Amino acid sequence: MNDDPTKRIEELGARVSAAREAAESRGETFYPGPSRIHLAAFPPKERWDDWVELDSRAWPDRREKRYMLVPTTCFNCESACGLLAYVDRETLQVRKFEGNPEHPGSRGRNCAKGPATLNQVTDPDRILYPLKRVGERGEGRWERVSWDEALDDIAGRIRRAIVEERPNEVMYHVGRPGEDGFTERVLASWGVDGHNSHTNVCSSGGRAGYHYWTGIDRPSPDHANAKVILLISAHLESGHYFNPHAQRIVEAKQDGAKLVVFDTRLSNTATHADHWLSPWPGSEAAILLAIANELIASGRFDREFVRRWWNWEEYLATAHPDEEPTFERFEARLRELYADYTFEFAAAESGIDAAVIGEVAELVAGAGTRLSTHTWRSAAAGNLGGWQVSRCLFLLNALTGAVATPGGTYPNAWNKFVPVPPYLPPHPHTWNDLTWPDEYPLALNELSFLLPHFLKEGRGRLDVYFTRVYNPVWTNPDGFTWIEVLTDESLVGLHVALTPTWNETAFFADYVLPMGLGSERHDLHSYEQYDGQWIGFRQPVLRAARERSGEAIADTREVNPGEVWEENEFWIDLSWRIDPDGALGIRRYHESKARPGERLSVDEYYGWIFENSVPGLPERAAAEGLEPLEFMRRYGAFEIRKGVGPVHESAVPGDELLDTATDRFGRVYTAAPKPAAVNLAPVGSPEPDADGRRPVGVVVDGVVRRGFPTPSGRLEFFSPTLWEWGWREASVPSYPRSHVHPTALATDEMVLISTFRLPVQIHTRGGNAKWLDEIAHTNPLWVHPLDADRLGIGEGELVRVETEIGYFVVKAWVTEGIRPGVVACSHHMGRWKVGDVGQRQVMATVALDHQGDQWAMNRKRGGGPFDSSDPDTRRIWWTDVGVHQNLTFPVHPDPISGQHCWHQAVRVRRAEPSDAYGDIAVDTAKSHAAFRRWLSITRPASDHSPDGTRRPYWLMRPLKPARDVYNLPGDGRHLQPEEGASAGVGRPKARLR
Amino acid sequence: MAMSSASRPSPAAVTVDAQTAPRPLIQLDAPGSRWVKVIDQTRCIGCHACTTACKSENEVPLGVTRTYVKAVDVGVFPQARRAFQVTRCNQCSDAPCVAACPTAAMFQRPDGIVDFDKSACIGCKACIAACPYDAIFINPEDHSAEKCNFCAHRLDVGLEPACVVVCPTQAILVGDVQDASSRVAAIVQREPVSVRRPEKETRPNLFYKGAHQATLDPLAARRPGGGTFMWSELVDGGQLVNSGHPGDRPSHGWNSSAAAVLAYDVPHHAPWDWRVSLYTWTKGIAAGGYLVPLLLLLTGVVSASSPIWMWSAPMVGGAFLALTGLLLIADLEHPTRFVKLFQRPQWRSWLVRGAVFITGFTIVLVLHFASNAAELLGAGSAPGMAGAPEALAWVGAPFALATAIYTAYLFAQAKARDLWQSSLLPAHLAVQAALAGSAVTMLVAAVVEPGAVPTLAVWLAASTAAHLALVWGEVTLAHPTAHAHLAVHEMTRGRHAGFFWFGLVLVAASLAAPFAGSVFAPALAAAALVGLLAHEHAYVQAGQSVPLA
Repeated sequence: MNDDPTKRIEELGARVSAAREAAESRGETFYPGPSRIHLAAFPPKERWDDWVELDSRAWPDRREKRYMLVPTTCFNCESACGLLAYVDRETLQVRKFEGNPEHPGSRGRNCAKGPATLNQVTDPDRILYPLKRVGERGEGRWERVSWDEALDDIAGRIRRAIVEERPNEVMYHVGRPGEDGFTERVLASWGVDGHNSHTNVCSSGGRAGYHYWTGIDRPSPDHANAKVILLISAHLESGHYFNPHAQRIVEAKQDGAKLVVFDTRLSNTATHADHWLSPWPGSEAAILLAIANELIASGRFDREFVRRWWNWEEYLATAHPDEEPTFERFEARLRELYADYTFEFAAAESGIDAAVIGEVAELVAGAGTRLSTHTWRSAAAGNLGGWQVSRCLFLLNALTGAVATPGGTYPNAWNKFVPVPPYLPPHPHTWNDLTWPDEYPLALNELSFLLPHFLKEGRGRLDVYFTRVYNPVWTNPDGFTWIEVLTDESLVGLHVALTPTWNETAFFADYVLPMGLGSERHDLHSYEQYDGQWIGFRQPVLRAARERSGEAIADTREVNPGEVWEENEFWIDLSWRIDPDGALGIRRYHESKARPGERLSVDEYYGWIFENSVPGLPERAAAEGLEPLEFMRRYGAFEIRKGVGPVHESAVPGDELLDTATDRFGRVYTAAPKPAAVNLAPVGSPEPDADGRRPVGVVVDGVVRRGFPTPSGRLEFFSPTLWEWGWREASVPSYPRSHVHPTALATDEMVLISTFRLPVQIHTRGGNAKWLDEIAHTNPLWVHPLDADRLGIGEGELVRVETEIGYFVVKAWVTEGIRPGVVACSHHMGRWKVGDVGQRQVMATVALDHQGDQWAMNRKRGGGPFDSSDPDTRRIWWTDVGVHQNLTFPVHPDPISGQHCWHQAVRVRRAEPSDAYGDIAVDTAKSHAAFRRWLSITRPASDHSPDGTRRPYWLMRPLKPARDVYNLPGDGRHLQPEEGASAGVGRPKARLR
Repeated sequence: MAMSSASRPSPAAVTVDAQTAPRPLIQLDAPGSRWVKVIDQTRCIGCHACTTACKSENEVPLGVTRTYVKAVDVGVFPQARRAFQVTRCNQCSDAPCVAACPTAAMFQRPDGIVDFDKSACIGCKACIAACPYDAIFINPEDHSAEKCNFCAHRLDVGLEPACVVVCPTQAILVGDVQDASSRVAAIVQREPVSVRRPEKETRPNLFYKGAHQATLDPLAARRPGGGTFMWSELVDGGQLVNSGHPGDRPSHGWNSSAAAVLAYDVPHHAPWDWRVSLYTWTKGIAAGGYLVPLLLLLTGVVSASSPIWMWSAPMVGGAFLALTGLLLIADLEHPTRFVKLFQRPQWRSWLVRGAVFITGFTIVLVLHFASNAAELLGAGSAPGMAGAPEALAWVGAPFALATAIYTAYLFAQAKARDLWQSSLLPAHLAVQAALAGSAVTMLVAAVVEPGAVPTLAVWLAASTAAHLALVWGEVTLAHPTAHAHLAVHEMTRGRHAGFFWFGLVLVAASLAAPFAGSVFAPALAAAALVGLLAHEHAYVQAGQSVPLA
C-alpha cells in the first residue's frame, strides 16, 4: 500500500471501484444511481463474491473491509423488497443490508424498515431456542427444550387428531404469509381444512370489492404510467407495496400526473396530493359514486368498454327481465341507478366541499384509460359495507376503461407469478366451520377474529393451534377474549407460536419456536407492483454465503443464530414425524423426488421449481453459467415478463375450444382439457356448465376472448352471486351507510380511526428494530383543535376513550390533520408484557387484572434503557411506548365480506383524576354481546344458499376444500328466495346500535 | 460457480451515457471540484429510509443522528399539509466548524466535503457550538465529534452515499455542481432552490428543492406542548433542544403567520454545560484577581509590598486559572488529548488562541509568585528580583485582559448563537472581570489589608453598575434577530430565568457595598461572586437554548 492517500485511493479504485469508468473498463456492470453521475448505486454484481469497501468507523483511515454480497428479501411488510446482505468475509456476520438492484419491484431501494433488518438480527431480546412453558399457560415461565422434543410432541398430537378423524382440531393461523401457498400445501397434505389467516382483520373488505368485479381479489395499479392517480389512504408511505408503489407514484407525479388522495387523517400521502379529501369515515363510496354519476350523466365514460366488458345483459335479464335487453336500456338504467349521487349529496355525506368533488370528477373524466386507483385497507377495513369502497373505486376504472391499460389498474393475478411446486396435494375433504361458518358464506377469508367467540360458544375445540408470525391477542380486536380462550386448555389443547420475536400471543403459548427473520429463511414470492411478473427469493444469507464458499449446509439451523430455524424445513420435518412410515399418505408430499424415501430438502424444492416452473429462468441462468438455483441464490429475483397487457382481451386459441357451449350471455365452456397450469396466481374458479365443460372464455363481438375469472367471464358490475345469496341490494356497486355514519352516532359520540399505520413500523414485528422504535414509539390520539377545545383537552393531556366494551387512557395529539368529530390513533403501538420476558425496547410492563368478565390492564412501567450485548440498549431514551387500543374494540364482522369493521363509535373525554396513562378496562361479556348482535345481521348459507352449498364455489378461498364438501350437511336446502328486493343502491336496513 | 465472461453493462447503464461526462474517477485534488447535494422535498415522502440507512452505514448509535427527517404540520383543516426536511450537515463552503475546531479534526477536503478525523478530536464541542445547523454531535461510543460527511468512504470507492441509494423516491441527489450535465447542477442552477440560514454566510452545498419555510426556519413552527409529537416522545429541557418555537402564542414570537406545528423532530444536545458556565466565572476571577490588585498598586491604594499584590494577585489568579484549566480539560470528551491543542493548533480557533492567552497569563503568574517566593526565601538580595512582579505586569496585564475577554470571540465563533454575537461582549467580560476581581480581592483584603476594602467596595459597586447597565441594554434593546430575541426570552422569562434573576439580584446587592461598612461589604462581595456565577450560567445556557435545526 502506498503511503500517499491520493495514490492509495487510486490503487483502491483500480481494484474495486464501482464507479462507472472503472467498472465498465473491466467489463462489469455499472448500476447507475439516482444522481446519474459516475458513481454507482451498488457494487458491480461481478464483484459480489469479494467486494472491498472502506470501513466507515475507521474513517478517515482507509481501512478495507471485504464482503460477500448475498441477496434476500425483506420480511418487514408485504412488499417483499429486495435486500442485499453485506456478509463480512472475516467474521461471517452480516454488517448491513442494502437494497438489491436486481429486484424488479423495489429496484434497489428500500424504506426505513429494510436497513433496520440488521437490528432484528442482532436484537438482544430475540428468541434463540425452542421454549416450552413451565407452570400455567400464560404464567410467563419458560424452559429451553430441544427441537426433537417439541417436534415429536406436536407431531404426535397432530397424528392423533388425523387418525382419530378430528382434522378440524388442527389449525394454523398466519399473519404475514411470506410465501405463496407453501403452508397451504402442507395443510392440504395433512388433509385438514386448518388454514386461518389474519386477512379478515386486514384486507378482506378491499379484496371483496375487487373480487366481485374481476374474479381476482387484488388490484395492480400501474402508477408509473398514470395521468391521474386516485388513492384511498396512505399508499405513499405505508400502504401495500409502499416502497415499490411510492417510487412509481412519484415518478408519475414528476411527469405531470395528478394525485388525488382520500384520507380522513393527514398522512404523508395526503401531503403530496393535488387534492386531499378528508371525508367523514365511511362516506368514501358516496364520493366515488358521485364521481361515477358525473361520468355517466355527462357521457364521459368509455361506452365501448362498458358495452363489451360489463355483464350488463345479465343485469337487465335478472333485475329488469321485462325490459328490452339493449345497451341503450342499460345506459338508461345506469343513469337512473346513480342519479341521486350528486356532488351535493356526496358533500353532505362526506363533509367535503361539493366543488372539490367536482374538480376531482373532472380529473377522473380527463384521465382516459390512464387512471390508476388503489385502496386496500383503510375505508374498506373500517366500515360496515366498507368492501363497497373498493367496488365503487374500481367502478371508476370500469367506466373509463382504465382496466389493464398502461396507467390503469390491472387485476393482480396478471402481474403476479406463482410457479408450480414439485407437489400439489389434493384439496382436503373436510370443511372447518370454525373458520368458514354458516353465517358468512360470502366472506372472502376466514372469520379468524371470531374464533374465540366460536370456541366460547362451543362450536368446536382446537387440539393443536399454530400461530405463525401472528399476534391475535394484540392485533385483533377484543384481545381479552382471546386471552380467555387461549388460557382455557379445554378449548385450545396445545398452542404453538412460530415467531422470530416475542409477542403478546406467544406469552400464552405452550411452545415458542424461533423462526428466522428475512435473512434467515427461505420463501418464494411474487407481488403485483407494476405491469410485469417477477419472483423474489428470500434465503438465509449466511447459508448462501457459506455454500458459495464451498461449504455444504443441510439445515438452516446450522447457520442461524442459536437454534433459530426456518419454517419450510420445519414443516417438512414435522410432516415426516406425523407420518413416519408414510402410512397416512402425508409423507410422500415431503419426499425427495430425486431420492425417493428421503426427506425433501429446501435446495431440491426450490431447485426443482426454478428448473421446471419459471419460464426463462433456466436459460437466463445458463447464460451466466449457473444452475437456476445458483442464479437465484446469487441474484435473489428474476423478472419473467414485462408488459403483460390486457389478458382479458386475448383470443382463446382454437385448440382450447372443443365441443364448446355458450350460454345466453356469451360465456363459453369447453370440453378441451385444461392446459397444464404455468402460473398458480390465485384467481376465482367459475364452475363448469351442467355438462361438465369448463369455462374458457367469453364471446365479445363474435370473438372468444379470455375474459375474467368471474362466473360470467366479464367484469361483474352486477353480481349474480350477491343477488342469489340474499344480498340483492348489494348486487351492484352501492353506498351502504357505515356503522359510524353520523345518523348511527349518539350526539356525544365521535368516530375513532384506529387503523392507520406509521411509516416506519411493522405491525407486531417492529419491536425488535431499535432504529425504527427510536423514530416512532407511541400513538397519541389525534384530535382536532375544535374538539380539543370543546372537550377541554390540552396538548399531551390524558384523555379517556370509551368504546362499547371498555376504555383506554391515552395522550392527545392536537392537530389540524384530522377532521373535526373524528379522532385517530395508530394501531402500531401499545406493545406490552406482563413479566420480564419480552421485547424491552418497546413493550411496557403491565399488570393484568381479571375478575370474571372484567379485565383491567395498568401500566407498571414504560420502556427504558437496559444492559445487554448491544451497548445501544443503554441509550434507549424513550419511555412512552403507546397504548394498546385494540383491546377495547368489540368484533364487528361485515355480514358480506367478513371484514372486521375497525372504526369505533367512541366517547372521548378528559381523563379522570384516578386514570393513569395506559389504563385499559374491558368487559368481555359486553364484547360477546356485541358479537351476537353483529351475528344477527348475517344471512347464513343454510337460509340463503341458492344451490345447497355452503359458499359460492367460484369465490377464491385459501386452501380450498374438495368440491363435494361444499354441500351443506343434510339436505342443505332452506331456500327462501327473497321477494320484493330490487337491485338498487339502497342502504342496509340493519341497525346495529 | 462459473462467472460469465461476457458480462455486459445493464441496459439502464447505457441510457445515462449522454448525461455522464467522462472524467477522472477520483478528484481529490481537482481544484474547485465541489460536491453538492440536492434534497428534493417535492419527492420526499417522509419515510425515514435515509435515517436508518445512515445509521446502518455509519453505525450511528441511538440518541444521535447524522441525518433525520424533520416534519412540520402546516395549515388549517382541510387545507393542511406536512412539510418534511431531510436535516443534516450542509457541507458549507465556509464551514464554521472547521474554523472553530482547535485541532483541525474538522477539515475540508479539496473536493469540498467537510470531513472529520476522530483521532484528532479532543471533544471540545466548539464545532457543535459553531455549526449554525446543529448538525454535529458527539458519538457516545468514541466520544468524538461526527456528522454527515457525504459518505466520503463510499464516494472514494465509486459509490453514491447510503441515503441516496436507499431513497424510494430518489429525493436525494449528489453530484458536481461544476459539471453542467449533472442532475444536481441542473436543479441548483435552473430551479428555485433554498439553503438553510444563508444569513450565516456559510455558503451551504446542500440545496433544498421545494422546501417549506416552516421547516427551513427552526423557529417558524410552534413546538407542541405536552411532551409528545405525532408518534414519538418530545424530550425537552436540560441540555436538550428541539426545533420549533416554545412560545404558546404568536405574540410570543414564532416566525410564521401560518399555522405550523412541529410534528416530528430529533432533540439536539446543547454543547456546553455547567462546566463552561463555571469556566467563564473562574476565568473572570482569575483575570480580575490579578488586574484589580494591579490597579490598587497603580492607584497607590496599596504598595508593592502589600500582600494583596505580592501574594493575592498571583495566588488567587493562579488558583482560579488552574481551576479554569481543569474545567476546560474536564469539559473535553477526550481530556487526555488536550495536548493536541499545542501539538496541532488550528490558529483560527479561539480555543487555541485562548489557550495561548491562558498559558501566557499562567507563566506571568508563576513568575510573579516565584519572584516573591524567592525574595521571601532570601534570594531577594539577588539583583533584579525586586520589582520583577511590577515589570511582569507590563505583560501580565494584557494577558489577563485577553484571558478575560477572549471568550467573547470564542462565543462569537459560535456563529448561530445570536445572543453571543454582541459587540459589547468583550467590554462586558472585562467589566465582569473587574466585578469579580473587586469582589474576590475584597474578601482577601478584609483579612490581610482592611484599608483597601472601602476602595474595593466602590470599585465593586461601580463595576456592578456597569454590569447591570450592560445587562439592562442586552435585555431591553430590540434584538437584531428572532434567535437573539428568543434567547433573551429564555434567559429572562424562560427556562433559565431562575438563574438569571437570582444572579441579578445578588450582584445588584453589591451596589450597596460602599455603604455597607467593612463587615458587610465582604459579605456583599461574596454574594456578588455567587450572583455572577448564576448570571454566567443563565447567559451561557440561554445562548444555546435556541433551536438551530
